[in-house]
Amino acid sequence: MRKKFILIFLLISLLFSGCGAQEDAKENKTVRIAEQFGIAYAPIQIMKHQKLIENNLYGATVVWEQMANTTAIREAMVADKLDVGFMAIPPFLIGWDKGMEWKIATGLSYVPVGLVTKNTIGSLADFGTDDRIALPQPGSVQHILLSMACKDELGDAGILDNNLVTLSHPDGLNALMAGNEVTAHFTATPYLETELESSEYDLLLDGREVFGQDFSFIVGVTTDAFYQGSPELYDAFVLSVQEAVDFINQNPQEAAAILSEYYDMTEEEILKHISSEKADYNTTAVGTRKFSDFMVEAGYLSKGYEDPGDIIWEDVKYEE
Amino acid sequence: MKSKIKKEHLKFIWIFVLLAVWELTARFGPVNPISFPSLAVIASALWESVITGDIISQIWFSMGFILTGLLTAIILSLVLASISTFSELMDSFTDTLVSVFHPLPGIAMLPLIILWFGTGSKAIFIIIIHSVIWPMLLNLKSGFKSVPEIYRKIGQNYEHSMAGILFKIFIPASLPFGLAGIKIGWARAWRAVISAEMVFGATGGKGGIGWYIFNKRVFMDTPGLFAGLIVIIGIGILVEDLVIGKIENSTVKKWGTSQ
Repeated sequence: MRKKFILIFLLISLLFSGCGAQEDAKENKTVRIAEQFGIAYAPIQIMKHQKLIENNLYGATVVWEQMANTTAIREAMVADKLDVGFMAIPPFLIGWDKGMEWKIATGLSYVPVGLVTKNTIGSLADFGTDDRIALPQPGSVQHILLSMACKDELGDAGILDNNLVTLSHPDGLNALMAGNEVTAHFTATPYLETELESSEYDLLLDGREVFGQDFSFIVGVTTDAFYQGSPELYDAFVLSVQEAVDFINQNPQEAAAILSEYYDMTEEEILKHISSEKADYNTTAVGTRKFSDFMVEAGYLSKGYEDPGDIIWEDVKYEE
Repeated sequence: MKSKIKKEHLKFIWIFVLLAVWELTARFGPVNPISFPSLAVIASALWESVITGDIISQIWFSMGFILTGLLTAIILSLVLASISTFSELMDSFTDTLVSVFHPLPGIAMLPLIILWFGTGSKAIFIIIIHSVIWPMLLNLKSGFKSVPEIYRKIGQNYEHSMAGILFKIFIPASLPFGLAGIKIGWARAWRAVISAEMVFGATGGKGGIGWYIFNKRVFMDTPGLFAGLIVIIGIGILVEDLVIGKIENSTVKKWGTSQ
Protein backbone atom coordinates (compact mmCIF):
# COMPACT_ATOMS: atom_id res chain seq x y z
CA MET A 1 0.00 0.00 0.00
CA ARG A 2 2.64 2.50 1.04
CA LYS A 3 4.83 1.60 -1.91
CA LYS A 4 1.95 2.18 -4.22
CA PHE A 5 1.36 5.56 -2.63
CA ILE A 6 4.93 6.62 -3.16
CA LEU A 7 4.89 5.40 -6.73
CA ILE A 8 1.76 7.37 -7.56
CA PHE A 9 3.17 10.42 -5.82
CA LEU A 10 6.32 10.23 -7.91
CA LEU A 11 4.35 9.79 -11.09
CA ILE A 12 2.28 12.85 -10.35
CA SER A 13 5.34 14.95 -9.57
CA LEU A 14 6.85 13.89 -12.86
CA LEU A 15 3.71 14.97 -14.62
CA PHE A 16 3.91 18.43 -13.12
CA SER A 17 7.62 18.99 -13.53
CA GLY A 18 7.24 18.50 -17.28
CA CYS A 19 5.13 21.64 -17.52
CA GLY A 20 7.93 24.05 -16.82
CA ALA A 21 10.64 22.57 -18.96
CA GLN A 22 11.03 24.73 -22.02
CA GLU A 23 12.89 23.73 -25.10
CA ASP A 24 16.01 25.86 -24.93
CA ALA A 25 17.05 25.12 -28.46
CA LYS A 26 15.46 28.20 -29.99
CA GLU A 27 16.89 29.02 -33.36
CA ASN A 28 18.44 32.40 -32.86
CA LYS A 29 17.46 33.72 -36.27
CA THR A 30 13.74 33.35 -35.79
CA VAL A 31 11.62 36.12 -34.35
CA ARG A 32 8.05 35.49 -33.31
CA ILE A 33 5.75 38.48 -33.66
CA ALA A 34 2.04 38.79 -32.95
CA GLU A 35 0.27 40.00 -36.05
CA GLN A 36 -2.39 42.59 -35.40
CA PHE A 37 -4.85 44.38 -37.61
CA GLY A 38 -6.13 47.92 -37.75
CA ILE A 39 -5.09 51.41 -38.75
CA ALA A 40 -2.99 51.83 -35.60
CA TYR A 41 -1.01 48.70 -36.48
CA ALA A 42 -0.47 49.63 -40.13
CA PRO A 43 3.36 49.63 -39.96
CA ILE A 44 3.29 45.97 -38.84
CA GLN A 45 1.38 44.99 -41.95
CA ILE A 46 3.81 46.96 -44.14
CA MET A 47 6.72 45.30 -42.38
CA LYS A 48 5.23 41.89 -43.09
CA HIS A 49 4.26 42.66 -46.69
CA GLN A 50 7.63 44.14 -47.66
CA LYS A 51 9.57 41.49 -45.69
CA LEU A 52 11.59 44.27 -44.07
CA ILE A 53 13.07 42.17 -41.26
CA GLU A 54 14.10 39.43 -43.68
CA ASN A 55 15.77 42.05 -45.89
CA ASN A 56 17.54 43.75 -43.01
CA LEU A 57 19.09 40.58 -41.64
CA TYR A 58 20.23 37.84 -43.97
CA GLY A 59 18.73 34.48 -43.02
CA ALA A 60 16.18 35.84 -40.60
CA THR A 61 12.79 34.17 -40.41
CA VAL A 62 9.71 35.85 -39.01
CA VAL A 63 6.91 33.78 -37.53
CA TRP A 64 3.68 35.75 -37.48
CA GLU A 65 1.37 34.52 -34.74
CA GLN A 66 -2.34 35.21 -34.58
CA MET A 67 -3.47 36.37 -31.14
CA ALA A 68 -6.92 37.33 -29.92
CA ASN A 69 -6.02 40.39 -27.85
CA THR A 70 -3.38 42.17 -25.78
CA THR A 71 -3.88 39.88 -22.79
CA ALA A 72 -3.24 36.82 -24.95
CA ILE A 73 -0.10 38.44 -26.38
CA ARG A 74 1.17 39.22 -22.91
CA GLU A 75 0.49 35.68 -21.72
CA ALA A 76 2.25 34.27 -24.76
CA MET A 77 5.28 36.43 -23.99
CA VAL A 78 5.34 35.18 -20.37
CA ALA A 79 5.23 31.63 -21.69
CA ASP A 80 8.11 32.41 -24.09
CA LYS A 81 5.99 31.68 -27.14
CA LEU A 82 6.41 35.20 -28.53
CA ASP A 83 9.34 37.65 -28.75
CA VAL A 84 7.66 40.83 -29.87
CA GLY A 85 4.24 42.28 -29.16
CA PHE A 86 2.53 45.55 -29.97
CA MET A 87 0.22 47.11 -27.41
CA ALA A 88 -0.68 50.32 -25.63
CA ILE A 89 1.42 51.63 -22.76
CA PRO A 90 -0.97 50.69 -19.87
CA PRO A 91 -1.08 46.90 -20.54
CA PHE A 92 2.69 46.99 -20.95
CA LEU A 93 3.11 48.72 -17.58
CA ILE A 94 0.78 46.21 -15.88
CA GLY A 95 2.98 43.35 -17.08
CA TRP A 96 6.14 45.18 -16.06
CA ASP A 97 4.68 45.87 -12.63
CA LYS A 98 3.94 42.16 -12.18
CA GLY A 99 7.56 41.32 -12.84
CA MET A 100 7.63 40.55 -16.56
CA GLU A 101 11.06 41.02 -18.05
CA TRP A 102 10.32 43.17 -21.05
CA LYS A 103 10.83 46.73 -22.23
CA ILE A 104 9.65 49.11 -24.92
CA ALA A 105 11.68 48.79 -28.12
CA THR A 106 9.91 51.37 -30.26
CA GLY A 107 6.97 53.72 -30.51
CA LEU A 108 4.54 52.95 -33.32
CA SER A 109 1.50 55.12 -33.73
CA TYR A 110 -1.17 57.44 -32.47
CA VAL A 111 -4.66 57.27 -33.93
CA PRO A 112 -7.78 59.09 -32.74
CA VAL A 113 -9.25 57.34 -29.71
CA GLY A 114 -12.25 58.46 -27.73
CA LEU A 115 -15.51 57.74 -25.96
CA VAL A 116 -18.55 57.74 -28.23
CA THR A 117 -21.88 58.03 -26.42
CA LYS A 118 -25.54 58.18 -27.30
CA ASN A 119 -26.38 61.85 -27.44
CA THR A 120 -28.69 61.49 -24.45
CA ILE A 121 -25.52 61.29 -22.36
CA GLY A 122 -23.97 64.74 -22.11
CA SER A 123 -21.31 64.12 -19.47
CA LEU A 124 -19.73 61.32 -17.43
CA ALA A 125 -22.07 62.17 -14.56
CA ASP A 126 -25.04 61.15 -16.73
CA PHE A 127 -24.11 57.45 -16.70
CA GLY A 128 -26.64 55.47 -14.67
CA THR A 129 -26.08 52.02 -13.16
CA ASP A 130 -27.81 50.40 -16.14
CA ASP A 131 -25.67 52.10 -18.76
CA ARG A 132 -22.87 49.99 -20.17
CA ILE A 133 -19.60 51.21 -21.63
CA ALA A 134 -18.05 48.84 -24.16
CA LEU A 135 -14.26 48.76 -24.42
CA PRO A 136 -11.63 46.14 -25.34
CA GLN A 137 -10.85 45.15 -21.74
CA PRO A 138 -10.13 46.53 -18.27
CA GLY A 139 -6.56 47.72 -18.03
CA SER A 140 -6.52 48.71 -21.70
CA VAL A 141 -5.52 52.23 -22.74
CA GLN A 142 -9.21 52.95 -23.34
CA HIS A 143 -10.03 51.97 -19.78
CA ILE A 144 -7.17 54.02 -18.31
CA LEU A 145 -8.17 57.10 -20.33
CA LEU A 146 -11.75 56.67 -19.10
CA SER A 147 -10.47 56.43 -15.52
CA MET A 148 -8.41 59.60 -16.01
CA ALA A 149 -11.48 61.47 -17.19
CA CYS A 150 -13.53 60.08 -14.30
CA LYS A 151 -10.86 61.21 -11.85
CA ASP A 152 -10.82 64.71 -13.36
CA GLU A 153 -14.55 65.19 -13.67
CA LEU A 154 -16.02 63.06 -10.91
CA GLY A 155 -13.12 62.73 -8.49
CA ASP A 156 -13.07 58.91 -8.51
CA ALA A 157 -11.03 57.01 -11.10
CA GLY A 158 -12.89 53.71 -10.65
CA ILE A 159 -16.43 55.07 -10.49
CA LEU A 160 -17.48 53.55 -13.82
CA ASP A 161 -15.43 50.34 -13.52
CA ASN A 162 -18.52 48.23 -12.90
CA ASN A 163 -20.28 49.62 -15.96
CA LEU A 164 -17.74 48.11 -18.34
CA VAL A 165 -18.48 45.45 -20.91
CA THR A 166 -15.55 43.80 -22.62
CA LEU A 167 -16.12 43.69 -26.33
CA SER A 168 -13.73 43.80 -29.26
CA HIS A 169 -13.97 46.96 -31.40
CA PRO A 170 -16.32 45.51 -34.04
CA ASP A 171 -18.56 43.83 -31.42
CA GLY A 172 -18.61 47.06 -29.43
CA LEU A 173 -19.73 48.97 -32.52
CA ASN A 174 -22.55 46.48 -33.09
CA ALA A 175 -23.60 46.59 -29.45
CA LEU A 176 -23.70 50.40 -29.46
CA MET A 177 -25.68 50.50 -32.70
CA ALA A 178 -28.10 47.81 -31.44
CA GLY A 179 -29.24 50.33 -28.86
CA ASN A 180 -29.58 47.98 -25.91
CA GLU A 181 -27.88 48.78 -22.62
CA VAL A 182 -24.52 49.60 -24.25
CA THR A 183 -24.79 53.37 -24.43
CA ALA A 184 -21.12 54.21 -24.88
CA HIS A 185 -18.09 52.76 -26.64
CA PHE A 186 -14.48 53.72 -25.97
CA THR A 187 -12.89 52.97 -29.31
CA ALA A 188 -10.40 54.11 -31.91
CA THR A 189 -10.06 54.69 -35.64
CA PRO A 190 -11.83 53.57 -37.83
CA TYR A 191 -14.72 52.46 -35.58
CA LEU A 192 -14.76 55.90 -33.96
CA GLU A 193 -15.40 57.66 -37.25
CA THR A 194 -18.03 55.13 -38.33
CA GLU A 195 -19.99 55.64 -35.13
CA LEU A 196 -19.76 59.40 -35.29
CA GLU A 197 -21.25 59.42 -38.79
CA SER A 198 -24.62 58.77 -37.16
CA SER A 199 -26.28 61.83 -35.66
CA GLU A 200 -27.40 59.75 -32.67
CA TYR A 201 -23.87 59.53 -31.27
CA ASP A 202 -21.43 62.15 -30.04
CA LEU A 203 -17.79 62.17 -29.04
CA LEU A 204 -17.85 62.69 -25.28
CA LEU A 205 -14.12 62.28 -24.61
CA ASP A 206 -11.14 62.67 -26.90
CA GLY A 207 -8.08 60.63 -25.90
CA ARG A 208 -5.52 63.39 -26.35
CA GLU A 209 -7.65 65.95 -24.53
CA VAL A 210 -8.16 63.61 -21.59
CA PHE A 211 -4.46 62.78 -21.46
CA GLY A 212 -3.50 66.44 -21.76
CA GLN A 213 -0.57 65.82 -24.10
CA ASP A 214 0.54 63.62 -26.99
CA PHE A 215 1.11 59.95 -26.31
CA SER A 216 1.94 56.76 -28.17
CA PHE A 217 -1.24 54.79 -28.68
CA ILE A 218 0.73 51.68 -29.61
CA VAL A 219 4.31 50.77 -28.74
CA GLY A 220 6.44 47.75 -29.66
CA VAL A 221 7.67 45.63 -26.75
CA THR A 222 10.24 42.85 -26.71
CA THR A 223 11.19 40.34 -24.05
CA ASP A 224 14.49 40.51 -22.22
CA ALA A 225 15.36 37.07 -23.56
CA PHE A 226 15.01 38.30 -27.13
CA TYR A 227 16.89 41.56 -26.54
CA GLN A 228 19.80 39.81 -24.82
CA GLY A 229 19.73 36.59 -26.82
CA SER A 230 19.33 37.90 -30.37
CA PRO A 231 20.83 41.41 -30.56
CA GLU A 232 21.18 41.26 -34.37
CA LEU A 233 17.54 40.35 -34.80
CA TYR A 234 16.52 43.00 -32.31
CA ASP A 235 18.37 45.66 -34.30
CA ALA A 236 16.87 44.42 -37.56
CA PHE A 237 13.41 44.54 -36.00
CA VAL A 238 13.78 48.11 -34.70
CA LEU A 239 15.19 49.27 -38.03
CA SER A 240 12.33 47.60 -39.90
CA VAL A 241 9.71 49.34 -37.79
CA GLN A 242 11.42 52.65 -38.55
CA GLU A 243 11.41 51.87 -42.28
CA ALA A 244 7.76 50.85 -42.22
CA VAL A 245 6.79 54.03 -40.40
CA ASP A 246 8.80 56.15 -42.83
CA PHE A 247 7.21 54.34 -45.76
CA ILE A 248 3.70 55.16 -44.53
CA ASN A 249 4.60 58.79 -43.88
CA GLN A 250 6.35 59.27 -47.22
CA ASN A 251 4.19 57.12 -49.51
CA PRO A 252 0.72 57.07 -47.95
CA GLN A 253 -0.87 56.30 -51.33
CA GLU A 254 1.23 53.21 -51.89
CA ALA A 255 0.85 52.13 -48.26
CA ALA A 256 -2.93 52.40 -48.54
CA ALA A 257 -2.86 50.21 -51.65
CA ILE A 258 -0.91 47.53 -49.78
CA LEU A 259 -3.09 47.72 -46.67
CA SER A 260 -6.28 47.42 -48.68
CA GLU A 261 -5.18 43.88 -49.61
CA TYR A 262 -5.26 42.88 -45.95
CA TYR A 263 -7.94 45.08 -44.40
CA ASP A 264 -11.62 44.99 -45.09
CA MET A 265 -11.62 48.64 -46.16
CA THR A 266 -11.26 50.51 -49.43
CA GLU A 267 -8.02 52.15 -50.43
CA GLU A 268 -9.56 55.63 -50.15
CA GLU A 269 -10.79 55.00 -46.62
CA ILE A 270 -7.40 53.71 -45.50
CA LEU A 271 -5.63 56.63 -47.15
CA LYS A 272 -7.95 59.05 -45.37
CA HIS A 273 -7.19 57.49 -42.00
CA ILE A 274 -3.42 57.04 -42.34
CA SER A 275 -2.85 60.51 -43.77
CA SER A 276 -5.24 62.21 -41.33
CA GLU A 277 -3.72 65.07 -39.37
CA LYS A 278 -4.86 63.43 -36.16
CA ALA A 279 -3.00 60.19 -36.86
CA ASP A 280 0.72 60.01 -36.31
CA TYR A 281 3.13 57.19 -37.14
CA ASN A 282 6.23 57.72 -35.08
CA THR A 283 8.88 55.51 -33.47
CA THR A 284 9.33 57.79 -30.47
CA ALA A 285 7.68 56.32 -27.37
CA VAL A 286 5.68 59.13 -25.78
CA GLY A 287 3.75 59.50 -22.53
CA THR A 288 5.09 56.67 -20.33
CA ARG A 289 5.58 58.90 -17.28
CA LYS A 290 2.07 60.26 -17.17
CA PHE A 291 0.48 56.83 -17.65
CA SER A 292 2.69 55.36 -14.93
CA ASP A 293 2.03 58.17 -12.43
CA PHE A 294 -1.71 58.04 -12.93
CA MET A 295 -1.91 54.25 -12.78
CA VAL A 296 0.07 54.17 -9.53
CA GLU A 297 -2.11 56.89 -8.01
CA ALA A 298 -5.34 55.14 -9.05
CA GLY A 299 -4.12 51.78 -7.77
CA TYR A 300 -3.82 50.00 -11.14
CA LEU A 301 -0.06 49.58 -10.58
CA SER A 302 1.76 48.77 -7.34
CA LYS A 303 4.84 50.75 -8.33
CA GLY A 304 6.00 53.27 -10.91
CA TYR A 305 9.31 53.18 -12.76
CA GLU A 306 12.19 55.34 -11.54
CA ASP A 307 14.44 55.65 -14.53
CA PRO A 308 13.17 55.47 -18.13
CA GLY A 309 15.85 52.79 -18.62
CA ASP A 310 13.74 50.52 -16.39
CA ILE A 311 11.04 50.23 -19.02
CA ILE A 312 12.68 51.33 -22.29
CA TRP A 313 15.63 49.60 -24.01
CA GLU A 314 18.80 51.53 -24.68
CA ASP A 315 18.92 53.83 -27.74
CA VAL A 316 15.14 53.95 -28.06
CA LYS A 317 13.80 57.45 -28.72
CA TYR A 318 11.37 58.53 -26.04
CA GLU A 319 9.62 61.55 -24.60
CA GLU A 320 8.23 60.94 -21.17
CA MET B 1 -3.44 -4.58 4.95
CA LYS B 2 -7.03 -3.54 5.22
CA SER B 3 -7.58 0.10 4.63
CA LYS B 4 -9.03 1.72 7.74
CA ILE B 5 -9.07 5.15 6.17
CA LYS B 6 -12.56 6.31 5.41
CA LYS B 7 -13.44 7.32 1.91
CA GLU B 8 -14.00 10.97 2.81
CA HIS B 9 -10.67 11.16 4.56
CA LEU B 10 -8.94 9.71 1.56
CA LYS B 11 -10.22 12.66 -0.47
CA PHE B 12 -8.49 15.06 1.91
CA ILE B 13 -5.26 13.10 1.72
CA TRP B 14 -5.31 13.32 -2.05
CA ILE B 15 -5.96 17.06 -1.92
CA PHE B 16 -3.04 17.41 0.47
CA VAL B 17 -0.76 15.42 -1.85
CA LEU B 18 -1.73 17.58 -4.81
CA LEU B 19 -1.11 20.76 -2.83
CA ALA B 20 2.30 19.49 -1.73
CA VAL B 21 3.27 18.72 -5.32
CA TRP B 22 2.09 22.18 -6.34
CA GLU B 23 4.13 23.91 -3.65
CA LEU B 24 7.26 21.91 -4.42
CA THR B 25 6.96 22.67 -8.11
CA ALA B 26 6.39 26.38 -7.46
CA ARG B 27 9.38 26.59 -5.14
CA PHE B 28 11.94 24.32 -6.73
CA GLY B 29 10.62 23.61 -10.23
CA PRO B 30 11.79 25.44 -13.34
CA VAL B 31 8.65 27.58 -13.45
CA ASN B 32 7.97 31.27 -13.81
CA PRO B 33 6.45 32.71 -10.60
CA ILE B 34 4.23 34.94 -12.77
CA SER B 35 2.47 31.93 -14.21
CA PHE B 36 2.95 29.45 -11.31
CA PRO B 37 2.71 31.24 -7.96
CA SER B 38 3.32 29.45 -4.68
CA LEU B 39 0.49 28.48 -2.32
CA ALA B 40 1.42 31.15 0.21
CA VAL B 41 1.06 33.88 -2.41
CA ILE B 42 -2.26 32.44 -3.59
CA ALA B 43 -3.53 32.16 -0.03
CA SER B 44 -2.68 35.77 0.73
CA ALA B 45 -4.37 36.92 -2.49
CA LEU B 46 -7.47 34.96 -1.48
CA TRP B 47 -7.39 36.39 2.03
CA GLU B 48 -7.07 39.92 0.69
CA SER B 49 -10.09 39.49 -1.62
CA VAL B 50 -12.11 38.12 1.29
CA ILE B 51 -11.14 40.98 3.62
CA THR B 52 -11.95 43.70 1.11
CA GLY B 53 -15.27 41.90 0.56
CA ASP B 54 -14.82 41.90 -3.20
CA ILE B 55 -15.02 38.20 -3.73
CA ILE B 56 -17.88 37.72 -1.26
CA SER B 57 -20.15 40.27 -2.89
CA GLN B 58 -19.27 38.89 -6.30
CA ILE B 59 -20.10 35.33 -5.27
CA TRP B 60 -23.35 36.62 -3.80
CA PHE B 61 -24.13 38.29 -7.09
CA SER B 62 -23.47 35.14 -9.15
CA MET B 63 -25.38 32.91 -6.74
CA GLY B 64 -28.40 35.21 -6.81
CA PHE B 65 -28.50 34.90 -10.57
CA ILE B 66 -28.15 31.14 -10.47
CA LEU B 67 -30.81 30.62 -7.82
CA THR B 68 -33.46 32.68 -9.61
CA GLY B 69 -32.51 31.14 -12.95
CA LEU B 70 -32.51 27.63 -11.51
CA LEU B 71 -35.91 28.08 -9.86
CA THR B 72 -37.48 29.53 -12.99
CA ALA B 73 -36.09 26.71 -15.09
CA ILE B 74 -37.28 24.05 -12.62
CA ILE B 75 -40.81 25.46 -12.63
CA LEU B 76 -40.84 25.72 -16.41
CA SER B 77 -39.62 22.16 -16.86
CA LEU B 78 -42.14 20.88 -14.29
CA VAL B 79 -44.92 22.48 -16.28
CA LEU B 80 -43.63 21.07 -19.55
CA ALA B 81 -43.08 17.60 -18.08
CA SER B 82 -46.55 17.55 -16.51
CA ILE B 83 -48.26 18.53 -19.72
CA SER B 84 -46.29 15.81 -21.49
CA THR B 85 -47.52 13.09 -19.11
CA PHE B 86 -51.12 13.95 -19.81
CA SER B 87 -50.90 14.55 -23.55
CA GLU B 88 -49.24 12.41 -26.21
CA LEU B 89 -49.02 15.37 -28.55
CA MET B 90 -47.20 17.57 -26.06
CA ASP B 91 -44.99 14.63 -25.18
CA SER B 92 -43.62 14.45 -28.70
CA PHE B 93 -43.32 18.25 -28.80
CA THR B 94 -41.17 18.40 -25.64
CA ASP B 95 -39.15 15.44 -26.93
CA THR B 96 -38.36 17.44 -30.03
CA LEU B 97 -37.43 20.52 -28.02
CA VAL B 98 -35.04 18.52 -25.86
CA SER B 99 -33.36 16.80 -28.76
CA VAL B 100 -32.86 20.12 -30.56
CA PHE B 101 -31.68 22.29 -27.66
CA HIS B 102 -30.11 19.90 -25.17
CA PRO B 103 -26.88 19.34 -27.12
CA LEU B 104 -26.41 23.10 -27.66
CA PRO B 105 -24.00 24.62 -25.11
CA GLY B 106 -25.12 27.98 -23.70
CA ILE B 107 -21.80 29.55 -24.57
CA ALA B 108 -22.28 28.67 -28.25
CA MET B 109 -25.51 30.65 -28.22
CA LEU B 110 -23.78 33.72 -26.77
CA PRO B 111 -23.34 35.65 -30.02
CA LEU B 112 -27.01 35.18 -30.82
CA ILE B 113 -28.08 36.09 -27.30
CA ILE B 114 -26.00 39.29 -27.43
CA LEU B 115 -27.74 40.25 -30.66
CA TRP B 116 -31.22 39.55 -29.32
CA PHE B 117 -31.02 40.51 -25.67
CA GLY B 118 -27.91 42.65 -25.38
CA THR B 119 -25.23 41.94 -22.80
CA GLY B 120 -27.09 42.70 -19.58
CA SER B 121 -28.59 40.55 -16.86
CA LYS B 122 -31.40 39.46 -19.19
CA ALA B 123 -28.85 37.71 -21.38
CA ILE B 124 -27.22 35.89 -18.46
CA PHE B 125 -30.63 34.86 -17.20
CA ILE B 126 -31.55 33.36 -20.56
CA ILE B 127 -28.27 31.46 -20.72
CA ILE B 128 -28.89 29.98 -17.27
CA ILE B 129 -32.42 28.94 -18.13
CA HIS B 130 -31.24 27.39 -21.36
CA SER B 131 -28.52 25.44 -19.58
CA VAL B 132 -30.84 24.12 -16.88
CA ILE B 133 -34.22 23.56 -18.49
CA TRP B 134 -33.31 20.80 -20.98
CA PRO B 135 -31.47 18.37 -18.69
CA MET B 136 -34.11 19.07 -16.06
CA LEU B 137 -36.95 18.33 -18.46
CA LEU B 138 -35.24 15.18 -19.70
CA ASN B 139 -34.85 13.89 -16.16
CA LEU B 140 -38.35 14.80 -15.07
CA LYS B 141 -39.87 13.12 -18.09
CA SER B 142 -38.01 9.88 -17.53
CA GLY B 143 -38.90 10.19 -13.86
CA PHE B 144 -42.59 10.53 -14.61
CA LYS B 145 -42.42 7.66 -17.09
CA SER B 146 -40.87 5.43 -14.44
CA VAL B 147 -43.92 5.83 -12.21
CA PRO B 148 -45.95 2.58 -12.57
CA GLU B 149 -49.28 2.98 -14.29
CA ILE B 150 -50.97 1.39 -11.30
CA TYR B 151 -50.04 4.36 -9.09
CA ARG B 152 -51.90 6.68 -11.39
CA LYS B 153 -54.89 4.37 -11.32
CA ILE B 154 -54.82 4.34 -7.53
CA GLY B 155 -54.84 8.14 -7.63
CA GLN B 156 -57.82 8.07 -9.94
CA ASN B 157 -59.61 5.64 -7.62
CA TYR B 158 -59.14 8.13 -4.80
CA GLU B 159 -60.71 10.67 -7.16
CA HIS B 160 -57.71 12.98 -7.08
CA SER B 161 -57.66 15.77 -9.63
CA MET B 162 -54.89 15.92 -12.22
CA ALA B 163 -52.94 18.33 -10.02
CA GLY B 164 -53.46 16.03 -7.06
CA ILE B 165 -52.11 13.05 -8.96
CA LEU B 166 -49.18 15.16 -10.06
CA PHE B 167 -48.21 16.56 -6.68
CA LYS B 168 -49.11 13.61 -4.48
CA ILE B 169 -47.94 10.79 -6.72
CA PHE B 170 -45.80 11.73 -9.70
CA ILE B 171 -43.46 14.27 -8.13
CA PRO B 172 -42.66 12.33 -4.93
CA ALA B 173 -42.31 9.04 -6.80
CA SER B 174 -39.90 10.50 -9.34
CA LEU B 175 -37.94 12.63 -6.90
CA PRO B 176 -34.63 10.77 -7.42
CA PHE B 177 -34.81 11.76 -11.10
CA GLY B 178 -35.74 15.32 -10.20
CA LEU B 179 -32.82 15.62 -7.82
CA ALA B 180 -30.42 14.24 -10.42
CA GLY B 181 -31.80 16.87 -12.79
CA ILE B 182 -31.19 19.60 -10.21
CA LYS B 183 -27.62 18.36 -9.76
CA ILE B 184 -26.92 18.56 -13.47
CA GLY B 185 -28.81 21.84 -13.73
CA TRP B 186 -26.84 23.43 -10.92
CA ALA B 187 -23.50 22.41 -12.42
CA ARG B 188 -24.48 23.69 -15.84
CA ALA B 189 -25.90 26.97 -14.50
CA TRP B 190 -22.77 27.61 -12.49
CA ARG B 191 -20.58 27.07 -15.55
CA ALA B 192 -22.84 29.12 -17.77
CA VAL B 193 -22.75 32.12 -15.44
CA ILE B 194 -18.99 32.07 -15.12
CA SER B 195 -18.36 31.75 -18.84
CA ALA B 196 -20.94 34.37 -19.73
CA GLU B 197 -19.41 36.85 -17.30
CA MET B 198 -15.99 36.18 -18.68
CA VAL B 199 -17.20 36.98 -22.15
CA PHE B 200 -19.32 40.08 -21.47
CA GLY B 201 -17.75 41.45 -18.36
CA ALA B 202 -19.81 42.82 -15.53
CA THR B 203 -23.53 42.37 -15.77
CA GLY B 204 -25.10 45.00 -13.63
CA GLY B 205 -23.66 46.37 -10.42
CA LYS B 206 -20.55 44.64 -9.21
CA GLY B 207 -20.40 41.71 -11.55
CA GLY B 208 -19.95 38.13 -10.42
CA ILE B 209 -17.17 35.63 -9.87
CA GLY B 210 -16.48 35.25 -13.60
CA TRP B 211 -15.87 38.98 -13.90
CA TYR B 212 -13.60 38.74 -10.86
CA ILE B 213 -11.45 36.13 -12.60
CA PHE B 214 -11.48 38.05 -15.87
CA ASN B 215 -10.26 41.19 -14.11
CA LYS B 216 -7.48 39.27 -12.42
CA ARG B 217 -6.42 37.97 -15.80
CA VAL B 218 -6.28 41.33 -17.58
CA PHE B 219 -4.38 42.89 -14.70
CA MET B 220 -2.05 39.89 -14.71
CA ASP B 221 -2.80 39.06 -11.09
CA THR B 222 -2.16 35.32 -11.36
CA PRO B 223 -2.40 34.61 -7.60
CA GLY B 224 -5.77 36.39 -7.61
CA LEU B 225 -6.81 34.26 -10.58
CA PHE B 226 -6.02 31.10 -8.64
CA ALA B 227 -7.87 32.51 -5.63
CA GLY B 228 -10.96 32.82 -7.83
CA LEU B 229 -10.57 29.24 -9.05
CA ILE B 230 -10.23 27.95 -5.49
CA VAL B 231 -13.42 29.74 -4.51
CA ILE B 232 -15.22 28.16 -7.47
CA ILE B 233 -14.02 24.68 -6.49
CA GLY B 234 -14.99 25.34 -2.86
CA ILE B 235 -18.49 26.42 -3.76
CA GLY B 236 -18.91 23.44 -6.08
CA ILE B 237 -17.99 21.01 -3.31
CA LEU B 238 -20.11 22.86 -0.77
CA VAL B 239 -23.25 22.88 -2.88
CA GLU B 240 -22.93 19.33 -4.18
CA ASP B 241 -21.88 17.62 -0.96
CA LEU B 242 -23.71 19.69 1.59
CA VAL B 243 -26.80 21.30 0.09
CA ILE B 244 -27.84 18.66 -2.44
CA GLY B 245 -26.49 15.86 -0.24
CA LYS B 246 -28.65 17.07 2.67
CA ILE B 247 -31.76 17.25 0.53
CA GLU B 248 -31.13 13.69 -0.69
CA ASN B 249 -30.60 12.40 2.84
CA SER B 250 -33.78 13.88 4.16
CA THR B 251 -35.93 12.80 1.23
CA VAL B 252 -35.13 10.02 -1.20
CA LYS B 253 -32.63 8.22 1.01
CA LYS B 254 -34.87 8.48 4.06
CA TRP B 255 -37.83 7.15 2.09
CA GLY B 256 -35.75 4.40 0.62
CA THR B 257 -36.56 5.33 -2.98
CA SER B 258 -32.89 5.80 -3.80
CA GLN B 259 -29.55 4.71 -2.40
